[in-house]
Amino acid sequence: MNEWMKKSPLEWQDYVYKEVRVTASEKNEYKGWVLTTDPVSANIVLVNFLEDGTVAVTGVMGHAVQTVETLNEDNQEVREKLMHMFMPEESKAYNPE
Amino acid sequence: KQAPIPIPVPVIRLPRGPDGTSRGFCAARGRDRAGSVAEVAEQQARAALRERYLRSILAMVGRPVHFTLHERVQVDAHFGATDLDVANFHVSQLQTPLGVQGEALLRCADIISYSFQL
Repeated sequence: MNEWMKKSPLEWQDYVYKEVRVTASEKNEYKGWVLTTDPVSANIVLVNFLEDGTVAVTGVMGHAVQTVETLNEDNQEVREKLMHMFMPEESKAYNPE
Repeated sequence: KQAPIPIPVPVIRLPRGPDGTSRGFCAARGRDRAGSVAEVAEQQARAALRERYLRSILAMVGRPVHFTLHERVQVDAHFGATDLDVANFHVSQLQTPLGVQGEALLRCADIISYSFQL
């Protein structure tokens, strides 16, 4: 089991809404805003907002994670976007848009 | 002729469930078992993280997903489902370097990452 999988839910929670760089097995590298970490599998879900307006979602398997480095602290704009992502319709009603 | 209805005996003590490392009952009851503030906070964080994860999986259903596997193999497929402990991904139309597989089960141990677009 790697370091990442041994973290506690509160430690994983600290990464939510932050921009990170994840290095994984076989020199794979990923960058994005952390949406969540599955407490069962330790899979990290990263979100990237592309220039054409689409949103790319990447899941990195917990067993493959080697390092997770914070690049940017959370900001209000990204937090707003991530908070409503995938949430059911009712919670979207509170979205100012 | 009818036999008298027996008077129920009040239950004084319920049998204890298994304790220790098993997943059975805990000797302490609900409220007493609630634990310290730190434990509760940890459990809440765990639930919030898990809910967001399950919703992200739900959003992936029916979408084309790109997988990075070991040995630098890249495959595309339509995502179908995953099991609760996230041990397998069920996909359709898996495009492998050798050809298209109609239905396939990708073991998570073989996957490094997956990605999709909204």
